[in-house]
Amino acid sequence: MSNLRLINLTKRFNEVLAVDNMNLEVTDGEFVTLLGPSGCGKTTTLRSIAGFCYPDEGEIFFGEKLMNNISPNKRNTAMCFQSYALFPHMSVWNNISFGLKMQKIPKQEQKTRVLKVMEMLGIEELQKRKPGQLSGGQQQRVALARAIVTEPQVLLFDEPLSNLDAKLRVQVRVEIREMQKRLGITTIYVTHDQDEALAISDRIVVMDRGHIEQLGDPHTIYRAPETSFVAGFIGLANIYEGTIIGREANRITLDTSFGKIVISSQDQKISETFSKVKFVWRPEDMKIYTRGAPNRVKGKIIQAVFMGNITDIFMDVKGNKMRAQTDESRKLIAGDTIEFSIPEDAFNILRS
Amino acid sequence: MTSTDSKMALHLIQARRIRNFYLLLMIFFMIVLILWVGIPILMTVMWSLVDPKKPWSYPNVFPPSFSLAQWKYVFDYTNIGRALRTSYSVAPLAVLLSLILSLPTSYVLGRKRIPGKKLLMLVVLLPIIMPGMVVALFLSRVFAAFGLSQTFIGLVLAHTLMSIPYMIRVMTTSFQAIPQDVIDAAENLGASTFVKIRDIFLPMIRPGLLAGMIFAFTVSIEEFNLTFIIGTPTFETIPTILYSFMGYNFIRTNASVVALLMMTPNIIMLFIVERFLKSDYLAASLGKM
Amino acid sequence: MKEKNISPIHVLMLFPGVGFILLFIGSSIFMTLVQSFGLFSITGKSMFTLENWKMILQARESIDSLLFSLKMGLLSSIGTVVVAFPVALFFRKGGTGKGILGSIIKVPLFIPALVAAFLILNLISYHGLVNTVLMRLHLIDEPLRMLNDKFGWGVVFIQIWKNLPFVLLIIMASLASIRDDTIDAAKNLGAGYWSILFRMYVPLAMPGILVSMILMFIKAFGDFPIVSVAGPIYPSSMAGRMHIMATIYQEWDQAAVLGVIIIVTAFIVIWAYSRLAEFLKGEI
Repeated sequence: MSNLRLINLTKRFNEVLAVDNMNLEVTDGEFVTLLGPSGCGKTTTLRSIAGFCYPDEGEIFFGEKLMNNISPNKRNTAMCFQSYALFPHMSVWNNISFGLKMQKIPKQEQKTRVLKVMEMLGIEELQKRKPGQLSGGQQQRVALARAIVTEPQVLLFDEPLSNLDAKLRVQVRVEIREMQKRLGITTIYVTHDQDEALAISDRIVVMDRGHIEQLGDPHTIYRAPETSFVAGFIGLANIYEGTIIGREANRITLDTSFGKIVISSQDQKISETFSKVKFVWRPEDMKIYTRGAPNRVKGKIIQAVFMGNITDIFMDVKGNKMRAQTDESRKLIAGDTIEFSIPEDAFNILRS
Repeated sequence: MTSTDSKMALHLIQARRIRNFYLLLMIFFMIVLILWVGIPILMTVMWSLVDPKKPWSYPNVFPPSFSLAQWKYVFDYTNIGRALRTSYSVAPLAVLLSLILSLPTSYVLGRKRIPGKKLLMLVVLLPIIMPGMVVALFLSRVFAAFGLSQTFIGLVLAHTLMSIPYMIRVMTTSFQAIPQDVIDAAENLGASTFVKIRDIFLPMIRPGLLAGMIFAFTVSIEEFNLTFIIGTPTFETIPTILYSFMGYNFIRTNASVVALLMMTPNIIMLFIVERFLKSDYLAASLGKM
Repeated sequence: MKEKNISPIHVLMLFPGVGFILLFIGSSIFMTLVQSFGLFSITGKSMFTLENWKMILQARESIDSLLFSLKMGLLSSIGTVVVAFPVALFFRKGGTGKGILGSIIKVPLFIPALVAAFLILNLISYHGLVNTVLMRLHLIDEPLRMLNDKFGWGVVFIQIWKNLPFVLLIIMASLASIRDDTIDAAKNLGAGYWSILFRMYVPLAMPGILVSMILMFIKAFGDFPIVSVAGPIYPSSMAGRMHIMATIYQEWDQAAVLGVIIIVTAFIVIWAYSRLAEFLKGEI
């Protein structure tokens, strides 16, 4: 039984279409991330689920219940804000127990639940402190505790880690995921950080300008992007156009501006009629050429950036700009010629 | 599918109804606000325009006819002219004096670290905090001892006393707002103290200066308690003459005219302040206590 | 912003402004104090005496005046804050026409207290607009006495009307420091309108509320012009009694006693406020 459903969700701000006819089904206990650049509509979608934004069109269902007209304080959601939004005039204890107090849970039960959550997150000693006396990481945990202690139907996160430093971010995101798995609460998570999305989601919804570009689990999103936006937004990408000049059982041959290439056509949606296609492959999939390897590509290095474990190469291939990454140990400098091969299954045909 | 269709349509209607309700509430609120401020003023305007031949009383909601007779009467037969002159000659002097006295003090309070600054700021507020009539009565005794009672200078000093707190507060905020970097840069480029004052400080505090002067001017025009005790009967200002029209000598129509005369420059000031100056100054001087 | 160290010149520069104030306020407070004890008397002998204090404190009128003034102070300050708070919340949400509305609501700020008293007087006097309209609508049979009434409602109403913008500005500044996120979080956790009002807005705006209440109390407690125009014949306010004592009866010494009581009350209120503010900072 699906837990959260968005049907044709549309929201406009003045003339700008923030969310455009969005459809999404989230199953019980799933961790779904809305990923995209600023302005793509992910926060608006989140706030609509929370009840802060009233949709212009479309419906939001929690199970069978239509939520549109239900005010935010009556929905069974709990949100973690980017700024943590802790109540500055209340102690940590009172912050965390606030939701329970609103639900009129008896004092004794409040006590046990708050203590349990604080133990789970390792913040018991902070009870009497005020938010102003906490570090960023501590505030984050208190915000999280405050949200999950209410045992909501849906847990919402609005870029909760953006204000933490990089190391803390990596540590805390794992903690959030572990917590969520343990409690099994349906979670919608908003971020613009693709590493974060890939690391902790069950499914990723990649959004751009109000609509869904692609929906899928992290592996699929990364290995099989469907649009040039998704390909470019997550990971590095070389995107080109080509003309189909030959078809076989599992492969097609393309003519491109840098030569002929053969790509695997398994699991690819290739139109029968159109001969022109757009395709992508990732720089890190390129291997130093050895005899007999497919799709040989020869280029002149414009810039080689040595990064320790890999070298990032910007090169010119028959007038085309191309990017490659290799763990080749020998030193590479601008002006050198280098040859790569690209495995046939490294390519993805894009639909736009 | 039809039952869910109609369920979905219903919520849209519900939402619109709620939105309309809030809109109505807001409009109601705005109307109440406008009436709250507008009606008292409107009433006074009407009273000042009552035709002496057709008096206005219950059960008429409006005066039966309008005329400017009252205005003429007030100007011809009362001391309003004298009061106007006194008010508008004391005020500029009070403003000037409080400006001169406030500048050095505000500079130090705004830019230097002083021990006990909190206490000093409280002292600055004393004329506003101290109950007016107490100060008026007993300062007049002090003035009497020094021969300042019933004198023009005494009036100016009294008005200055009431204006200074506002002047200092606004100017202190102004001085505080000048970034130290700008001054350092000027010094680094060889500016003398005179140049610093003329080219850096004065231009940058000009808005605050203006705001402070407007406040001080308004305070002086409105000042009642001190003027009533120290000035009357030798001097009359608009507030004291209004008070006299409200005593046992109560003539509503005269009082209306004077009230309007007193209000109008203030309301003009209000719009000047709102339009050309940041209302931060208002909030700063009143709110940051 | 760095502030450089002070030098003697700077201390000297403080004198014009601060010195002026201290001189005049100080001398008037001094005069009030000493005259209450019989010194510097303008009539008769000057000698230290507690006679004036006895006379004032034993008079029935003193208690009545004090209670009346306290009542005016309390009702005016509470009343203005209670009216101003929803208006401040309304302005916080923004919305259409806020700019013009903002200017309109600020008008009483620029209207002198005396004029304000007169304006309202016109409305609520025996033959004023409010009574006329109410009678026309047959809601009352005879006019209400809202002015010069024994309780002092006329005075309270005028104080609220005149001081609303002043308090409004202070509270709005306080509310402005409350983040929208914080309120959203409270809503998200289940807080309804009343919870948000009393658990979020009021506590977080408390500094502004306290400041305005203190200032308003002192103003209304020690007020002279408004009460003398719109207040009851008996009891008079502290300031009114003091004024009559001094100027009509020429009993300056006794007037001084009343003056001291007024000043002391003002200081007690300020002291209580600073203690309360400190207490609240560490609480909730």
